[in-house]
Amino acid sequence: MDRRTESQGPERKMLDYERLEIGEPLPSYEYLLTQEMLEQYRQGVQDPDARFPTIAAKADIGAYHRKYEDAGSVNARCAYSCYNPPVAGKKIRVTAWIADKYVRREKPYIVTEAVSVDEDGRLIDRVITHELKRPREVGKKWER
Amino acid sequence: MGALRRFEAGMEVPPVSKTLAQEHINLFEASGAHEGPSIFTDPETAQKMLGMGRTVASGRMTLSFAVETLRRFFGERIYNHTGMADLRFLRPTRAGDTVTVKGKVSSITPEANGSRVAVELTVQNQNGETTAVGGGSAIVPAGFLPPAE
Repeated sequence: MDRRTESQGPERKMLDYERLEIGEPLPSYEYLLTQEMLEQYRQGVQDPDARFPTIAAKADIGAYHRKYEDAGSVNARCAYSCYNPPVAGKKIRVTAWIADKYVRREKPYIVTEAVSVDEDGRLIDRVITHELKRPREVGKKWER
Repeated sequence: MGALRRFEAGMEVPPVSKTLAQEHINLFEASGAHEGPSIFTDPETAQKMLGMGRTVASGRMTLSFAVETLRRFFGERIYNHTGMADLRFLRPTRAGDTVTVKGKVSSITPEANGSRVAVELTVQNQNGETTAVGGGSAIVPAGFLPPAE
């Protein structure tokens, strides 16, 4: 969902949905997964055995918002694949791209995809997210 | 790791329930280094962006609950290396809600290193409303499956 308030790259541009290309790469980036992040995640999801705090990193959307600004979005669908639990203290590298875009019921969607690999080259996870790019319409529906 | 179990189509997945407080939502967002106001943490931002004056929980929190449900069912040695979950979000989850993830084995398909056991998932809130639907799966070694006929 929305990431506009977070730190962004200096070369962001407004999303032009028509010009967005399927397969278009998004900026790669790295972050350090800390023990604190793991503990916060476990407390947040109330699961002391949780091993994939990288779900909360929203890696694909983070990469998207390093390139684009938009009017916000709503997460319509999200798929997550586990390969190897990440280790706190390791850097995580995210590689992401535009996997698809489509219009359904006259509403525009963007599909982003990302894979995360740690500094030792271990594949951590893959995430695919379908975001609706007209959040207020959904908000009105939800408010009822 | 979870108890060893044999997997068969139609098996019920033990449900997992969570009651969410805003503090849980805040911790989830903080764990992903999402700082600053957002529709998840700030009612004003939710009003501005969604037109509703209440925060919502990220769909990825529900996804995390689905991952936990499936990890408990398959066991972490299987699920943490071959598992996946895929949810469509139908209505929001908010602070104060209790959501329950339920599932049932829908199919078992042979693959190179065992069989992919697929599970249908439904997430409901305390009012019985469905908040998300989808599925998940993991690749289970042959020894955990019924003998082939």
